[in-house]
Amino acid sequence: MISRRIALKSMALGAASALAIAGMLASAQAENKKLKIGFVGVTSGPAAAWGTSNVRSMQVRADWLNEKGGVKIGDDTYDIEIVTFDDQKDPKRAIAGMEKMAEQGIHYVVGPNVDDGAAAVRPVAESKGIIYFPYSFPKALYTPPASNAVLGMVANYQSAPAIYKYLKENKGVTKVAFVAANESDPLSQRDGGVEAAKALGLEVVAQNDTYPNDTRDFTPVLTPIVQLKPDLLVLSGVAPANAPLLIRAARELGYEGLISAETAQDATVLQEGAGELANGFISVGGASTPEIRSPEMEEFIDRYTKKYGEYNDESNTKVYALEYIVETLKANPAAIDNVEEYKKTMETFSAPNPFVKEGTLKYVGMTSFGQKRQISVPMVVTEFKDGKFDTLFVGEVD
Amino acid sequence: MEQVIANGLYLGAQYALIALGLTLIFALMNVLNFAHGQMYVLGGFVTYTIYGRLGLPFPVALAASCVTLGVVGALIEKFLFRPVVRRSEREESTMLLAAAVAFFLDAVILLLFGEKQRGVPKIVNGVFVSDQLIMPYDRIVVGVVAIAMIAAFVLYMQYSRPGRAMRALAQDRTAAQLMGVNVDRYSMIGFALGALLAGAVGSLLVTITGVNSGIGGPISIKAFLMVMIGGAGVVGGAIAGGFILGMMESVGLTVLREYGDITYLVIFALLMVFLSIRPNGLMGKPWG
Amino acid sequence: MTATAKLFASAALLLLLLVGVPLFINATGRSDLYYTLTSVALLSIISAGVWITFYIGRINIGQGAYALMGGYVSAILVMEYGVSFWVTLPLAGLFCMAASVLIGLPILRLRGVYFAMVTLVLTEVARLLALALPITNGAKGIVSIPQPGRIGLFGLTIVPDFATLANPRFAFYVVSVLLMALCFAALYRLKNSRIGQLCQSLQQNEELASSIGVNITYLRVLAYAISSFLGGVGGAMFAAISQSIYPSSFTVADSINFMLNCFLGGLGYVFGPMLGTFVLYFGWDLLFQTGEFQLLIFSTILIALMLLLPNGLLSLRLSGRPKATAAAPPAHRQEEAQARSTAAGRASS
Repeated sequence: MISRRIALKSMALGAASALAIAGMLASAQAENKKLKIGFVGVTSGPAAAWGTSNVRSMQVRADWLNEKGGVKIGDDTYDIEIVTFDDQKDPKRAIAGMEKMAEQGIHYVVGPNVDDGAAAVRPVAESKGIIYFPYSFPKALYTPPASNAVLGMVANYQSAPAIYKYLKENKGVTKVAFVAANESDPLSQRDGGVEAAKALGLEVVAQNDTYPNDTRDFTPVLTPIVQLKPDLLVLSGVAPANAPLLIRAARELGYEGLISAETAQDATVLQEGAGELANGFISVGGASTPEIRSPEMEEFIDRYTKKYGEYNDESNTKVYALEYIVETLKANPAAIDNVEEYKKTMETFSAPNPFVKEGTLKYVGMTSFGQKRQISVPMVVTEFKDGKFDTLFVGEVD
Repeated sequence: MEQVIANGLYLGAQYALIALGLTLIFALMNVLNFAHGQMYVLGGFVTYTIYGRLGLPFPVALAASCVTLGVVGALIEKFLFRPVVRRSEREESTMLLAAAVAFFLDAVILLLFGEKQRGVPKIVNGVFVSDQLIMPYDRIVVGVVAIAMIAAFVLYMQYSRPGRAMRALAQDRTAAQLMGVNVDRYSMIGFALGALLAGAVGSLLVTITGVNSGIGGPISIKAFLMVMIGGAGVVGGAIAGGFILGMMESVGLTVLREYGDITYLVIFALLMVFLSIRPNGLMGKPWG
Repeated sequence: MTATAKLFASAALLLLLLVGVPLFINATGRSDLYYTLTSVALLSIISAGVWITFYIGRINIGQGAYALMGGYVSAILVMEYGVSFWVTLPLAGLFCMAASVLIGLPILRLRGVYFAMVTLVLTEVARLLALALPITNGAKGIVSIPQPGRIGLFGLTIVPDFATLANPRFAFYVVSVLLMALCFAALYRLKNSRIGQLCQSLQQNEELASSIGVNITYLRVLAYAISSFLGGVGGAMFAAISQSIYPSSFTVADSINFMLNCFLGGLGYVFGPMLGTFVLYFGWDLLFQTGEFQLLIFSTILIALMLLLPNGLLSLRLSGRPKATAAAPPAHRQEEAQARSTAAGRASS
């Protein structure tokens, strides 16, 4: 009898304490404040892939951080909440999105994904005190007097000279041809690329060839270019969806030189769309390859794949924006609702980079913009080989 | 130059097949189907799933794409377009419905198949190479199949009973009804057939250009162009329009490349001038 | 509704927009609504232009071209020639008007889907031209356009310099609402004028109208020119708000949306484009919290609306009432339409 009573008692005690612990945990969880980080960019329509990889990497990283108990900034612990807005690649909508972010009290926004959107949201961001991280290259966004935009990746005018130099020295490239979609972002990038190639003393044999972004068959576009027999064909600002089609068309037309791109690509897409024809394709393939990535990055890829069924290599770069925001806020808790504090911190900020074996998170861009308005991500130049990206070399932007 | 012409012919064959379905639906119901491109994309993704993912033979995937789209088309006609056409005061109102259907299909495709570009293994390997001409075998196969399908479609419209009924419907709806043609039934068959053609092209082309969820809208617009060149609502016009546009792109991109990105500007400007001179395209119905 | 009642209702709406909405926004802190409503006002002005072309029986999917043109005209005049924004606003409209006469003369001969497609192509032509012409700065667009400056008369400030304002969004909102009121008042006046009635005769039967002595070419071009004027003004305002313009600022998707706004509101009603724009734009905005399902829900609602009210949202009010207010449907289908809309009203209630 006694033993039974004791057993009952201890069970009740155990249950009570379990409840209490659970309650404490729950209340601890509930005590976490919310830190909202915004995203304004394109997640539907033909360019959906760009914004989607942003949103998904932010979501995965946020869930992960929250699961670990949130982020400690100053004296408070925060759960991160991602607020997304689909601008449908329309600059007018992008403004509305930025206004929405301001209304929600958000000060840090990732996006927009294209030039016109990034330019259009600037007035709102500056008047409402929002720092935003566009994936768009025009220098006017980042050079003074502009001060609220931070470039979220490596610009092509930074990576192109390095790639061309490498190819010139190591692969004997002398003749270059450019092809770009007839839209703002790719055309601007092409102009940047042509400039870089000429500066290196390379001969530019084709620089006026363009195609509409919705082209499905690139044979007519590439036929005249292939006949010029360039050593290097640069796909300026190419969308991940178009890259395999361009590569395949060029190779099937008998092109034998090198092909490169300065935008991030996805290995699965290349493999499915061009197969072995894509072997040897050179790109700034995201900021990560198996050689340099850390276990943390492996776990990120793992979690991403679990959550969405399939990883996207563009997220190698896109995981960084949120990380920089969070880490910078940790370094200066006053910046949580004050972007001027954030700007001050950017000057000196430095933290270990969790996603590579060795590296630091810091803001760069002095050479290109005259102020630190770019996040430093490893510039990994890769070569596509049998469904994977191999590292050619790793560079850095200053 | 041979290469340029071959490119144009190949492009033209696939364009013509895309335009056929659109023009058929327009001829029968005066509906400008904004969702045509989305149907193409859906057809592509069905083939991607069956041929690319499940590894079943390509003809099975092609058939599955056709059947899926035929059913989807029939349902859309019966439950969406028919009631709206019946009740709206101006038949242009169906444009809003067509656009809404296009958005809807876009959303469904994006949710089901994701945002990435997809591709499938080639159906035939190898490339035909001669001194003047380079053409991968799979393009030749797809081009031939496309032309065969166009021929089959024309024969079907010309000689089969439903084909004749549909042509009667396209010529004069009221007269056809008076002569005992079941208008509702053949409108549905026609819409299903139009959708099926879209699915068939999507399925064929996924083997060459792959597919992604965002290209529906641009494909529709391109198909509109071809239909306009040839003349809306006329089968021969769609075929001619497809080949003309294909050839113009191929030749234009070669000849005008020196002058920068103006090929499409020239094509579009020519189209506007051409239509100003011939307001019904090459062989279109007078009303349009 | 009598004329006085209509006037009263319009004044009340304007008062609500200019006083009620700001009070509401101040009370709730939803300052993002200013931009949303500004967009609605401007887009409905642009859509009103499309509505006019519908009124002469043409489906216009080319309005984006004029909006883009207007935006560029204003941006170039401000940036290159230092003209005040307020002067460029009507100039942008007039420039588009002139261009539309040149373009309209040949293409207005087309009808039905042919006109629709040619105008669709026109949007794309405008974008490609903006990319190719040297004066537009090509792919790089025109950025960092200064805010609208001050308007003064005899030293009195009538409109302050927007750059000095604490809340330029509010100023843009007021300007846009006033422009919208002006636009729709003019549209209402136009529709009920002699020209408006003649235009309607075009919608029904051009040959007949021509045979009884209506100068159809003149009327068509006039309607199209007014339509393009509105497009240009709207585009110029957007360029000023975003302080930038790119070749992709107005695209084919925009042109299609302008047309859909008119359809949704109802082609027979002057205020159709306003309501249609409001519902389409606001609807999308409200759904933003639904994340990846936004487009799915949005399009489903659109399809449902179309099934319930195939003649536009404003056809709803016809259900119980005699047909006196609307002049929309062609005469020979009017009775039929009325019978149908009553039936629809019954079915949906």
